[in-house]
Amino acid sequence: MAKVERDIRPTPTDGYPSPTSTIQAQTENILRNRIPSTSTLPSDSTKNDGTLQRNSHLQFLLRNLVQGFPARYVSQDASQPWLIFWTLQGFSVLGVGLDEQTKRRAIDTLLALQHPDGGFCGGPGQFPHLLPTYAAVSALAIVGKPGENGGWDQIDRKKCYDFFMSLKQPDGSFLVSHDAEVDVRGIYCLLTVATMLNMLTPELLEGTPEFIASCQTYEGGFGSASFPGWAIRDKDDIEPGEPLLDPSAPRPPLGEAHGGYTFCATASWIYLQPYLRTYYDSSSAAAAPKINTKSLLRWATHMQGLEIELGGFKGRTNKLVDGCYSWWVGGCVGLVEGLLGFGHSNPLHSESQSKGEDEGMKGEDKENEEWDDVDDSLFNRKALQEYILYAGQHPAGGLVDKPPKVADSYHTLYCLSGLSAAQHRVTPSTAQKIVLQSLWKDEEVPDDETEKKLQALRKEAFTSSLSWLEEEGTEKYVGGSQNRLNATHPLFNLTVTHSEGIMAHFYGRQIPSRASRSTKK
Amino acid sequence: MPRNSDDEDRKLYSERPEWADVTPVPQYQGLNPIAPIFYTPQYKDATEYFRGVISTGEKSERVLELTEAIIRMNPAHYTAWQYRYQTLIALKSPLDLELKLMDGIAIQFLKTYQVWHHRRLLLTALHDTPSSSSSQPAALAELAFISRVLMVDSKNYHTWSYRQWLLSYFDDVHLWTGEISFVERLLEEDVRNNSAWHHRFFVVFGRGQQQGEEDRPEVLKRELGYTKDQISLAPNNPSAWNYLRGILEQTKTPFSNLESFVQLYVSSEPPKQDILDLENPAPGESAELPCVAALEFLADIHEQAGADRVQKAIEIWKSLGDKYDTMRKKYWEYRIREALASS
Ligand SMILES: [Zn+2]
Repeated sequence: MAKVERDIRPTPTDGYPSPTSTIQAQTENILRNRIPSTSTLPSDSTKNDGTLQRNSHLQFLLRNLVQGFPARYVSQDASQPWLIFWTLQGFSVLGVGLDEQTKRRAIDTLLALQHPDGGFCGGPGQFPHLLPTYAAVSALAIVGKPGENGGWDQIDRKKCYDFFMSLKQPDGSFLVSHDAEVDVRGIYCLLTVATMLNMLTPELLEGTPEFIASCQTYEGGFGSASFPGWAIRDKDDIEPGEPLLDPSAPRPPLGEAHGGYTFCATASWIYLQPYLRTYYDSSSAAAAPKINTKSLLRWATHMQGLEIELGGFKGRTNKLVDGCYSWWVGGCVGLVEGLLGFGHSNPLHSESQSKGEDEGMKGEDKENEEWDDVDDSLFNRKALQEYILYAGQHPAGGLVDKPPKVADSYHTLYCLSGLSAAQHRVTPSTAQKIVLQSLWKDEEVPDDETEKKLQALRKEAFTSSLSWLEEEGTEKYVGGSQNRLNATHPLFNLTVTHSEGIMAHFYGRQIPSRASRSTKK
Repeated sequence: MPRNSDDEDRKLYSERPEWADVTPVPQYQGLNPIAPIFYTPQYKDATEYFRGVISTGEKSERVLELTEAIIRMNPAHYTAWQYRYQTLIALKSPLDLELKLMDGIAIQFLKTYQVWHHRRLLLTALHDTPSSSSSQPAALAELAFISRVLMVDSKNYHTWSYRQWLLSYFDDVHLWTGEISFVERLLEEDVRNNSAWHHRFFVVFGRGQQQGEEDRPEVLKRELGYTKDQISLAPNNPSAWNYLRGILEQTKTPFSNLESFVQLYVSSEPPKQDILDLENPAPGESAELPCVAALEFLADIHEQAGADRVQKAIEIWKSLGDKYDTMRKKYWEYRIREALASS
């Protein structure tokens, strides 16, 4: 490692300690000892050299997949599709494929979780719920395929759609399940599934952008939900044609700005752009809702911890860094960059280096010098990688919130996904979008105005979400390319290949292979 | 009804004659699942009987016992919660007793979503006309219960959002009045508790303009005074600065109104004040200056002023990126690019 001078000043306490600053200082003492050059410990086992312990993480995932989970995972009994998704996607990010028999078992297990009335359940015989529906469909995107027993065509989309509609609330939000709560996680899950499986309709999305916008807090991040009561008008007071919701009534967010909700709300906002573009421009009835992108960006970048915290991310102001927010908040910065128009067409990227050249320059000193030139992302990608590599890896395999916690399935995936998001830049590509738009032929456009709009919505959803591609020459690997992970789609947290595969199937489009196109350039 | 929380002596449902009429349903049939969980015998047994109950649609007293047993082993079992709620409604069970039972469960499992949502369902069912005078004591009691939980875990996300829902749903002036002093008590204990700051914002501004609109200038003055005082105690507290930004933006007050206050926090040394300025409390002697949040705030004032002051903002952003807040160098460079592009 090149010696880099590090500024490891602790978070200032102003001589005014409080419970927050006390626990913060304790955490900083643990974390600073993970920085190789500044550890005050003699040589000990907690240090590592910044190598991704690929093999021990694979063993951890494999053990969970094949042998199963120990009894303490009973708390995840209602999240069984999540356990499967976290594990399968962990393999994908690590670049490991699965044999046919394992895929077969995964598909059978996932299909056993589909509810007869639509949607997927946390376990067999449980009730359907938006969160397991997302996890099961995403897992099927990884292991499934078309055809009999392939998993994809056995998803009952009609019933799934009806299940979604049955959860819809007057304020544009959705319950996560019957008799359950409303929150933006559920909406992220619903929109991901509806986008991937080609189920978007204006009826499904009506009022949802307004709901998402109402969850943004004064800090810039998003809370869990908002209070609908003051905005919902008495049915007797509404003239025909008037909206059910009073647009001037307060709809305050419930709960403070939070990393998980902010990722879900921001991704939802991006999923909703095709609907906003298709249905709001022409109808002057309702002004399009807005979010404050500036304050969102400020909040998300401010969640990155100091050097003494190794640049890990926090989930809320004045809380501790935690490996899973590498994805939820680090990944969210990438989403905001997309909203701000960063991407392949950005002139800053015009002189992209070729891959071969980059591989050759992996000298350690070069690495630091070169870093700034190619990197215009708005968070510190290098520091985030260091947090995960130095503090996020459990010596026995799997990844963690922070030391000295034990590894679990959830933190293993979101640390790996966060590391991937810090290594690769995946942004919307205008060129790719044009390629995808050309998959629709003019003669396909329906005459009927309603049908025409619906087609426009779905085409826009397909082309926008699959336009996110990795920018060549912008990848950066702390510890060298031996630590390379696969890039993951910023909205779906699936590889681009898996995202394209399932969407191509459900939209009935043949996506030309990217490899053949890039050689043509 | 026996409500035993320790299940060591409890017999398995498969060994209990009063459950003999229920056919237990195994989880996976005819399939070797991937990534299975190794359940304890008690959990496996209870959930098999639960699936059996769901398959026949039985809603009875013993279902309440069964769902409670499952919830105590796994409070995240949302189906057990939902089925329990549906059973309570079907049996017309006394929901106030259920709420009492839930007090203990809530404190034991306060990190679980379902614990709080169940309370919300109960309160809603008990008081479907929340504004009636008979609802008020119940809502006050619930508020007191939440306060007790927040004393145990003062940043619990679900507890706080539940409190905010409760205030809004019952929306009674007697409920709202104690909230500011409640927040202040918590911030006295921990001025960095961001959940408490958010709650303050919710209480002061969440109700919108419908309530006490005529007091708004007074309210803003009070909030500015309180926040400045808290900043002077512990200047490097992002929660307080975010709150300050929040109230200014909410009330469309220019940041520049705070310029003389912010100036006290941007130099390396505490300012020498000969005259005590109550409007602009200075940082204490232990304050670690300059304060990054104050520098950022001052840069925003410069940027908003425009013209040649944009250059001053750029200088501050440079100093943040190079010296005071190096982790966010990319963000500060972005701010510089944006400012240059629009000026
Ligand atoms: Zn975490």
